Amino acid sequence: MSELAQPSAGIVVALVLSAVLFTTGLVGFLVRRNMILMFLCTELMLQAAALAFIAFGKMRGDTGGQVFVIFILTVAAAEAALALGLVVLLYRRRETLSAEAWQELHE
Amino acid sequence: MTPWYVAAAIAAAGLVMVLRPGRVALRRAGAVIGLAGFAMLMGFGLRLAGASATSASTPLALAVATVGVIGAVRVITHTRPVFAAIYFVLTVISAATIFLMLEAEFLAFALVIVYAGAILITYMFVLMLAHQSPEDEIGRIGAEDYDRVPREPLVAVFLGFFLLAALGSVIERVPPMAADSAPSASIRTTDAMVQAQQRLPGMQAADGVPADQPDNVHVVGLDLVARYPASLELAGVILLMAMFGAVVLARRQIELGEDERRKAAGMGGMVLDLPENERGGA
Repeated sequence: MSELAQPSAGIVVALVLSAVLFTTGLVGFLVRRNMILMFLCTELMLQAAALAFIAFGKMRGDTGGQVFVIFILTVAAAEAALALGLVVLLYRRRETLSAEAWQELHE
Repeated sequence: MTPWYVAAAIAAAGLVMVLRPGRVALRRAGAVIGLAGFAMLMGFGLRLAGASATSASTPLALAVATVGVIGAVRVITHTRPVFAAIYFVLTVISAATIFLMLEAEFLAFALVIVYAGAILITYMFVLMLAHQSPEDEIGRIGAEDYDRVPREPLVAVFLGFFLLAALGSVIERVPPMAADSAPSASIRTTDAMVQAQQRLPGMQAADGVPADQPDNVHVVGLDLVARYPASLELAGVILLMAMFGAVVLARRQIELGEDERRKAAGMGGMVLDLPENERGGA
């Protein structure tokens, strides 16, 4: 069966893609100044984690990785709802999406 | 390990050039350099897996991964937020394609439906509600300053380079050809599955599939309720709490100053001030 040799390359591609996506998400979170896009970058990181879960699950022949991705989706949905609710509140106060409008919070 | 560091450094240099605002030629060169670095990363990973590991579907997987990375980089570099969100959909779809190649069919479609269908639509709504792009004198749509100019790109990419290097050391430790030594079927018939097939008359394999070879949806579903019931309940609680939180946040009144209140009143106040005979004349 040719399927036996196939997964290995697919797994490595998924793992490298996961690493690069996670790094891109982190860089984006630091670089972006728009609050909504900062949260979009965290979704990028969650996506990379899901990819790694699926790849390692496939490698070990265990479906536990896929089940965990379902929970990642749950947390991502909850996070999106709460984060966007907060962003809308913040926007109504300052009339801007710039994260720098809230710079005094860290002082 | 050294080739991985070199490749990561090249990709990082490309990303820095792409992140700089202005100078389109420089950004294009950065994109080429970054893609070359990504290709080197992939080549290093594939060399770890061994030449015999590659198969007919490997070029397709590489192409899909490249599209996903381009989408991700556009998410963090595009100056218009709505387009960044659309590029995120591109990344989601390419990740779902990789899921399909790794035989996680249920999650591939769940990812597209939940991410591209639900979460991204929410992001789009909030972007369009909260944000109006400024226009210049001749009506072209521009970008806000905070979307155009990145914050500390050098430092961020430097941090990202270290993260990528650390992740590379993990990938290197993945034993080559691991998929062959593992039980080849990611789909195994467990006791719970056999029991479920005996107990549930409606649970039958699809046409052309042997009955003892359940498909991905059956396996993941049974795993979810048989192996992780407590986590499933917990996920329900998380969703419920998020719903409560969103309702509480949305209902909160904001104390506006005198100026903001006048601005928010806007049209509504003018309609009320109309004289009696002009209101509802038609």
